[in-house]
Amino acid sequence: MSEKTTYMRVQRQTRSSRVAMTICVMVLVGLVTMPWWATSGNIRWAIELSCYIAVAQMWNLLAGYAGLVSVGQQAFIGVAGYTLFVLAQNFGVNPFLAVPLSIITPALLAVPTYLLLHRLDGPYFAIGTWVVAEAVRLATSNIDYVNAGAGLTLRVMTNYSQHEREVAFVILCAILLLVTVGGSYWLLRSRHGLALTAMRDNAVAAASQGVNVNRLRFVIFIAAAVGTGFAGSIYYMAQLRITPAAGFDPFWASMCIFIVMVGGIGAIEGAIIGALIYFCADRFFGEYGSAYMIVLGLMTLIIALYARGGVWGLLQKLGDHPWFPVRRKLIVEDKS
Amino acid sequence: MQWLDAIIQGVLLGGMYAQYALGMALMFGVMRIVNIAHGDVMILLSLIAVTLAGVVPVGNLGLILLVVPIAVALGWVLQKFILNKVVGADPLPSLIATFGLSIALQNLMLEIWSADTRSLPSSGIASESFNIGPIYVGLLPVIVLICAFCITAGLDGVLRFTRFGRGLRAAAADTEAAAMAGVNPKKIYATATAIAVGILGLAAVFAALRATVSPADGPAQLIYAFEAVIIGGMGSIWGAFVGAMVLGVAQAVGLRIDPGLGILFGHLVFLAVLAGRPQGLMARK
Repeated sequence: MSEKTTYMRVQRQTRSSRVAMTICVMVLVGLVTMPWWATSGNIRWAIELSCYIAVAQMWNLLAGYAGLVSVGQQAFIGVAGYTLFVLAQNFGVNPFLAVPLSIITPALLAVPTYLLLHRLDGPYFAIGTWVVAEAVRLATSNIDYVNAGAGLTLRVMTNYSQHEREVAFVILCAILLLVTVGGSYWLLRSRHGLALTAMRDNAVAAASQGVNVNRLRFVIFIAAAVGTGFAGSIYYMAQLRITPAAGFDPFWASMCIFIVMVGGIGAIEGAIIGALIYFCADRFFGEYGSAYMIVLGLMTLIIALYARGGVWGLLQKLGDHPWFPVRRKLIVEDKS
Repeated sequence: MQWLDAIIQGVLLGGMYAQYALGMALMFGVMRIVNIAHGDVMILLSLIAVTLAGVVPVGNLGLILLVVPIAVALGWVLQKFILNKVVGADPLPSLIATFGLSIALQNLMLEIWSADTRSLPSSGIASESFNIGPIYVGLLPVIVLICAFCITAGLDGVLRFTRFGRGLRAAAADTEAAAMAGVNPKKIYATATAIAVGILGLAAVFAALRATVSPADGPAQLIYAFEAVIIGGMGSIWGAFVGAMVLGVAQAVGLRIDPGLGILFGHLVFLAVLAGRPQGLMARK
């Protein structure tokens, strides 16, 4: 009689995730070495795309997992951008060091915003965030210290050569992607990830299982504000100019919604796919102006009505190949 | 005296906001849905009214009689093809769907009517005014306020005393239980949306008479309606009316302090109410 032992292990990686992880590392290495092989135009595109991915990923965390639909994320983008400009231009802080400092103000703004708005019911919460963003925009337009409606220019950037700037930008973008995408992945694989996934599926049921829904929502709201602000300050540093109308543009919210809904809500992969689609669409069709926007709006509408999983949801139907697997699979093997 | 004038002008402005807010309060109360395209639908109806006025010479009253049925039909279509599919406990689908609609509508209007500001030719009424002591009061804003008051009272009466109102309140409290008791929720929803957008039709004509409209104005109207509803207290029809007055006064007073502060003051009063009295001014609790 042979002895039978049962081995159990938890499988978390899949073949597709190993491929995806390898590609991610290659993309990051490619991004960081861009100043040595790519044109300035391509680097600008890479900065823009990184910011879109980061902002969309943060919105995905909010709307897809925490159930907090925000249409006011531009508040954090603008506030972080303005903090960067003020620190670098008025206080003489090195602009590249000012970027990590500029994420403090979005966090400070997010705390009272959440405490005020969390009392509002789902859809009203969304418009509440919009009101906060509008209030911050109007307040900024009335503050002479930041040049009111005319906005600020980042003149200190002329102290650095173009190559120095590009190297700093690609490193910042790599950190941004690591923090937002990598951070979301880490969060979703952790214990809190289980709680978040439970909340995504049903907040009431999650609460009954011992998930502190309110606290988790609060933490996610602040984390998303910080990540969004980080992207905002990089974006406007690359633009060299910020005005209240641009920094607090509600279009940022439309973009988040479009990217995440088209890509696929409630999945890290979705935000990345959506950002790529949006980036390409913007390059090819952006010149059509309002006609292009009509199509974007109608696509969002149709996806909300008929295909809530977006492109990633459709891909999942073809086969289960997660890039960023957050599930745990129990493997039981009998060995004699 | 300057402040009394600001308060009077603010209340009159509130009459306009009340007309936006009532439809929103009604739809949210019944379906727990907020139509993000609420303001854009209003602007669309305004632009239709301006175009109609150029084609058929029917006068302002005739224009209202033309635009309101269009609005009701628009509400019915909105309900039938979009909102019915996204009614549910999860707020995300309805928000995203109406958000997409809002973006599409804004840009569609931009394509059709261009970015110009437009208004209805003011035939007497819009420019007439009378004096209360030293304060000038426009005749049109007073008509708007009276209309808003009548609609609020009418809507409140319908909700309290009619069979439709009872069905509506039942469907709002518990859709499934109401359905078992013989209420048809789909019909209730369709009627509520038709009424809500119908009121917007009236508001649209007044808005085009009072001031100018352009395709990008929708979101601001949505925010004013929303602020009025929350200031007044969710789920209360009279609350939406009172909230609109408070918002109008806050904006008018802010405007007197500094021309750049009017709308910001409205936002700040909204946030203050949220901090101090989150259930709203008129809530029953």
